[in-house]
Amino acid sequence: MKRRHVFAFIALAALTVLALCLNLAFGSADISVSETVGILFRGGSGTSYDIITKIRVPRAFSALILGGALALAGYLLQMFFRNPIAGPFVLGVSSGAKLTAALVMIGAAASRVPLSSAAMVGAAFIGSMASLAFVLLISRRVRGMSMLVVCGVMIGYICTAVTDFVITFAQDSDIANLHSWSVGSFSGMTTENVIVILAVTVPALVGSFLLSKPLGAYGLGEEYAVSMGVNVRLLRTALILLSGLLAACVTAFAGPVSFVGIAVPHIIRRVFRTSKPIILIPACFLGGGIFCMLCDMLARTVFAPTELGISTVTAIFGAPVVILMMIREKRGGMNG
Amino acid sequence: MDNVKLEARSLCAGYTSDILTDVSFSVRGGEIMTVIGPNGSGKSTLLKTLAVQLPRRGGHVYICGADADKIQPRERAKKISVLLTERVNASLMTCREVVEAGRYPYTGFFGALIDKDREAANEAIRLTGSEGFAERDFNAVSDGQRQRILLARAICQQPEVLILDEPSSYLDLRHKIAFMETVRRLAEEKNTAVIMSMHELDTAREISDSALCLKDGRVFRSGGADDVFTAANMTRLFDVSEEMFERYINTYNKERM
Repeated sequence: MKRRHVFAFIALAALTVLALCLNLAFGSADISVSETVGILFRGGSGTSYDIITKIRVPRAFSALILGGALALAGYLLQMFFRNPIAGPFVLGVSSGAKLTAALVMIGAAASRVPLSSAAMVGAAFIGSMASLAFVLLISRRVRGMSMLVVCGVMIGYICTAVTDFVITFAQDSDIANLHSWSVGSFSGMTTENVIVILAVTVPALVGSFLLSKPLGAYGLGEEYAVSMGVNVRLLRTALILLSGLLAACVTAFAGPVSFVGIAVPHIIRRVFRTSKPIILIPACFLGGGIFCMLCDMLARTVFAPTELGISTVTAIFGAPVVILMMIREKRGGMNG
Repeated sequence: MDNVKLEARSLCAGYTSDILTDVSFSVRGGEIMTVIGPNGSGKSTLLKTLAVQLPRRGGHVYICGADADKIQPRERAKKISVLLTERVNASLMTCREVVEAGRYPYTGFFGALIDKDREAANEAIRLTGSEGFAERDFNAVSDGQRQRILLARAICQQPEVLILDEPSSYLDLRHKIAFMETVRRLAEEKNTAVIMSMHELDTAREISDSALCLKDGRVFRSGGADDVFTAANMTRLFDVSEEMFERYINTYNKERM
């Protein structure tokens, strides 16, 4: 590993710890830093203790892991479509997952069936796969990557429209929090949620990491990958399943979160100045986690006690990165 | 040992229907065979089929005596490497990293390079004369340099058979000559069999030991370069009049063609 990469990883690790601390220490309830530290290391009881352990800890960790999952899903989709502006949000994958998850949620509420987190992830996975299947079908017919993205955005709008329609007409008090979920939020996470999130995300992260070598060869082009002995069909299937699963997991718990999947891998590539998947995969995961934790902190604290949707904040910071990227792209490639 | 590295028997190839039918030839170690013919005659289809990018529609291909179907992809990658016309977008990769990618079939599960791999990459870079820009960004070098790096990548794969699809398309005269000299040296020093499609007849004639002419999806002529590259064969292969051929092609070496 080059020195640059070692330093960058140390910086990412430090930022992760810092962002976690900030997320635990700040919030709408006024708990001093020393009290927070006391609760975390010595335990305690009372309202402050409950706020820290039952609200802030699960929320911070879910932002870390889901943010990482989102950035990784974006990176994998970019590799698959050979397009740096591909991502779970722009390709409509998040919206597809949102639609099926909302349908299952409302169905469960109407029939008074308790809904487990795992079932939510399953439902979202079906939606993300359906969206991806649709995008894949289109990608065979259209030439040019910008067309693909436009199609993805359209799929996203259709899914969002149907979801909004369903939510509007579902009149049940059980889905009162459906609205905040449907615009994207890390609020209301429980420790049980975090365990399910870990159970889905960690295997997907490890699986992606194990694909590093063929993924690197695939980056040179499909025909070269075949000539070097890569099983391209298997690799492409794995990429779709992994990115779909990651995006579904994020959507099931936090709703659709925009721009993280594009902006974070881009920033990470710039910082590390490499295209090696073995480095980019863990780096994107950490970067996504940091980005989402910081955005979530802003969403909670800037207009406290009113909370902003997480996508509002990620879009403010993520969208300009994407615009800059497209301008640079036009000026002559991704080098530099 | 008859030193045949690649042999095709009654090969049929194409995408949804046969573009090529009944193609047979063999290439020995150290031999350079060029594939020539009009546009659309099936040159690329042939090379893609030999490189197993395209499934065969009939016939057999033998790589170093073994049936191509029975070789594992990874083992096959140690025998055949390619330089294709496909555009390579290796963003954020140095030229050296692109060359090192050729070590894929030899490296372990995570693709870490050992000294032997680095030596192979260094040698490939030296052979192609790419030392001067090896550390530069692949997307920042010229077309000609990029082509040399892609050749170095193919060499780095240490193949028995090297397949080059129109490798001289982007090269000016000086780089074309340097490129052909490298291919020649590789064939002689490493006993590599080279199969190369080309449009430039004069260059093809100079570099080839043998040639395979394709026309309308069949072998039109094949054999030693001296027998194939005659004015009579070329005018019929490309459907041009002898007068035009004389005027445009045969001006430098009248005595030879």
